[in-house]
Amino acid sequence: MALIRIDDREIEAKDGDSLLRVCLNHGIPVPYYCWHPALSVVGQCRMCLVGVKGAPKPLTACSTLVSSLPPDKKIDGKYDMVVDTKSPAVKKDQRGIMEFLLLNHPLDCPICDQAGECELQEYSYTYGHSASRFEFEKEHAPKRVDIGPHVVYDAERCIKCTRCIRFCNEITGTGELTLVERGVHTYVGSFPGRDLDNDYSVCTVDICPVGALTSREFRFKQRVWFLTSGNSVCQDCARGCSVRVDTYKGEVLRLVPRDNPQVNGPWMCDYGRLVSERLKEMNVVAQPKVAAGGRPQSLPWSAFAKVLDDRMAPFKGDGAKDLALLWSGRMTLEEMAAAKRLSAAFFGGLAGAAPKVCHGGDDNVLIRKERRPNLKGAALMGIPVTEENAPISELLKGKRAVLIVREDVVGDAEYAEKESLKKTLGTMDLVIVADYALTETAALAHLFIPLAGWHEMEGTVVNFQGVAQKMARAVVPPRDRKTFYEAVSLLLKAAGAEVPEPTFLAWHAEVKAAVPGLKNVTIRDLLPNGVKLGGAP
Amino acid sequence: MAEILKLLTRNMGHANSTNVDAYMASGGYDPLLTALHKMSPEQVLNEVKASNLKGRGGAGFPAGLKWSFLPKGKEKVKYLVCNADESEPGTFKDRLLIENDPHAVLEGIILAGFATQSAGCFFYIRGEMPQGARIFQRAVDQAYERGFLGRNILGSGFDFDVYVSRGAGAYICGEETALMNSLEGKRGEPRLKPPFPAGYGVYGQPSNINNVETYANVPLIVKNGGAWYAGIGAPSAPGPRLYGISGHVKKPGVYELPSGVSLRELIYEHAGGILGDRPLKAVIPGGSSVPVLRADQIDVGMDPDGLKTVGSMVGSAGVIVMNDTVCMVRAILNLAQFYAHESCGQCTPCREGTVWMRKIIARIEAGEGRPGDVDLLDEVAGNIMGRTICPLGDAAAMPVQSFVKQFRAEFEAHITEGRCPMAHTRMTVAV
Repeated sequence: MALIRIDDREIEAKDGDSLLRVCLNHGIPVPYYCWHPALSVVGQCRMCLVGVKGAPKPLTACSTLVSSLPPDKKIDGKYDMVVDTKSPAVKKDQRGIMEFLLLNHPLDCPICDQAGECELQEYSYTYGHSASRFEFEKEHAPKRVDIGPHVVYDAERCIKCTRCIRFCNEITGTGELTLVERGVHTYVGSFPGRDLDNDYSVCTVDICPVGALTSREFRFKQRVWFLTSGNSVCQDCARGCSVRVDTYKGEVLRLVPRDNPQVNGPWMCDYGRLVSERLKEMNVVAQPKVAAGGRPQSLPWSAFAKVLDDRMAPFKGDGAKDLALLWSGRMTLEEMAAAKRLSAAFFGGLAGAAPKVCHGGDDNVLIRKERRPNLKGAALMGIPVTEENAPISELLKGKRAVLIVREDVVGDAEYAEKESLKKTLGTMDLVIVADYALTETAALAHLFIPLAGWHEMEGTVVNFQGVAQKMARAVVPPRDRKTFYEAVSLLLKAAGAEVPEPTFLAWHAEVKAAVPGLKNVTIRDLLPNGVKLGGAP
Repeated sequence: MAEILKLLTRNMGHANSTNVDAYMASGGYDPLLTALHKMSPEQVLNEVKASNLKGRGGAGFPAGLKWSFLPKGKEKVKYLVCNADESEPGTFKDRLLIENDPHAVLEGIILAGFATQSAGCFFYIRGEMPQGARIFQRAVDQAYERGFLGRNILGSGFDFDVYVSRGAGAYICGEETALMNSLEGKRGEPRLKPPFPAGYGVYGQPSNINNVETYANVPLIVKNGGAWYAGIGAPSAPGPRLYGISGHVKKPGVYELPSGVSLRELIYEHAGGILGDRPLKAVIPGGSSVPVLRADQIDVGMDPDGLKTVGSMVGSAGVIVMNDTVCMVRAILNLAQFYAHESCGQCTPCREGTVWMRKIIARIEAGEGRPGDVDLLDEVAGNIMGRTICPLGDAAAMPVQSFVKQFRAEFEAHITEGRCPMAHTRMTVAV
């Protein structure tokens, strides 16, 4: 350990730690662009220049390492390093670098998507000049470059920090990007014949400190200060990346990873992120539907609950042997707890299983082949899980009715299986589908219960590592689009059963009672990064 | 008046001076034989340390000390690099050595390899010197034929290889770590230091890099002893030195003189005085990156201590002489243009600042300068100075600051008159 003095504070720091990291960890503001905690250090932007006693020149804090001095050489008898981050000399350096960075920057903030979350703007305000002393035509460079299918590049806005290049070299290992040309003409380009087309390409947009890399899907959609956000968890694989869901007037405009060291670091995959695009194409309804004589009819929840009760009547008691229940790893723990109540009410115990859906393989960054975010949670709740990609039609064999929750079994099935599933479901007496959108499976349903989307509800999920995280609501759904636990509360209550209130907290208490690992975990622990459950395998 | 030396230039002008036989006939490769058979690597290193040989590339770092930074022993593969990317404006001494006496350079490299127990040397030569590359490659081939390179050199058990590698003509690749990146096939961008090359150099191995002229001095030291060498010229940076002199002198060229020779003597005696017998106006004493001197500052020795007294540096000892026909704004515009063009673009101050300086100077030269432009120029240079990854930023800022300091009135005259006051003159030699 070394004792360093930064301005007027004494700080203990580990030898070999970057000075910038030490400053940031202790809340000492040092501006930086090219440095990124997950990437290698290049010291290129020169924004983090600080004064270090004994050094003839200002040093970049990012590349300066903390080092101990021998006892007889300590500065002022006790310090290993004396650092200055806010003297007039340091301020002058910061102003100088800011001025250089903005010389050829187009200052097109009014039409730039980064505006509002741009580090150039922020540092310019804090550290820069208010007026430019550069009275020449700015250098021109390629604009609107389709550098990849999801990313657009503007070389004029670019400050050549090379974060994107290092990301492609060090994180994905795909190395699509490089600097092209030199000097003031330098810009970021992809190698000939290659695009910035990897599974994580939009992360480069996240880490771009300026508006040089913008997301094709999000650009020009909305000024960022008009967005409202909710912290949630990505639902597209067993990783369960921590995400921030940015919405505007109820529409999900983008997902941004939240830095969660134990789950996803600062990254997330493009597939998970672009759920914002898939949401737009989903056929979503606000009210329950009943397929009466082929033509589906929307009903308000109150009327629908009665229909549901009537149609389910034959499957109560002895009839339950003809009923199948299909769970999903897309259900939250709270929804699973509710489904367990439902199962108990009909079968007197646990019935059915959650399919384990897998595609491809795990990659070495984040993506897991297991596509459901909460199958680990299902296992913790004691819910049976099928073999990998087990055919669903096996589970339905000999049944006359089925309740399918949050699974599009038909849509997800391979061709042969799809046909057989369609046939099975088509001959059943009663098919109830509860899901967010009208999927291929829902098209075969007699009764359709619209469920709140993952972005519209609160809930807890446990990823493959056993990390439990809480999802917050990013969008408020219409009244009749409920979470499954709300629906179950209402249905069972109408049937006269004793059930928890239709709220997240009530059902979460039920979950805590069922999962030993959650017993001592508070809701606060589940935010924002979640908690690794004790005893989770 | 100092005598012209014939040490580094001993073989110049002889027929077949690039041939191994001619080189050996004049006593070449004898020092290598002596070192391999009669000396230990430490003894060679100690002689070089005793000689106080300073690097000839520009920074003037003691060569023996630099070699001793390499890890000892043979556990780690170590490399030498010879920096033959001579591209500092006004400097043309290495080309002379490579094209006329390649074996002297090569022998120095092998001796350095023996002293440091390195595995081999990468000879990185500037892309614009195809003839030098051909000549040096032939010298290397001949050295392999005669057993001066390869396995078990001259039966001593010492193995050493030399690879000739051509650059693509970027000034920045003369910076030691940019050179290493370029050598490895990467973008020619300087690396962040530390780690220094002695710990992490070419292909990640401990490496030592010296200039061509530095290596060429080594056979002289081994042959005559470090003490002898340390007695030549200025004690702080002793030895013979190749002074390249260009610009407005009657006899431009490379002169081998003891270090510390007076600048006035170099210009007026050896180089024959100012072209057209006109008054001297300015001298850049050590390649384009060092601060410029006025005509009244030339009574100094051409060594680090001497030039320090007038605020400049000996650099690569490439002397650029300008007579009274030269517009100093136009001269610095030329240099500013060069540095803006050669900036690698990696770090902010140099990438943006060099171009800004060029634009301000161009505006002043065009007669469109504004009041305050000179101060602005000085401040921009100050904001680059010492804030970059590599010395290119300093090299671009130093001349600008010194031109402004030494010839401020001329800059101001451009602005107040709204034109170049020297517009009627012509530069007879491009700076």
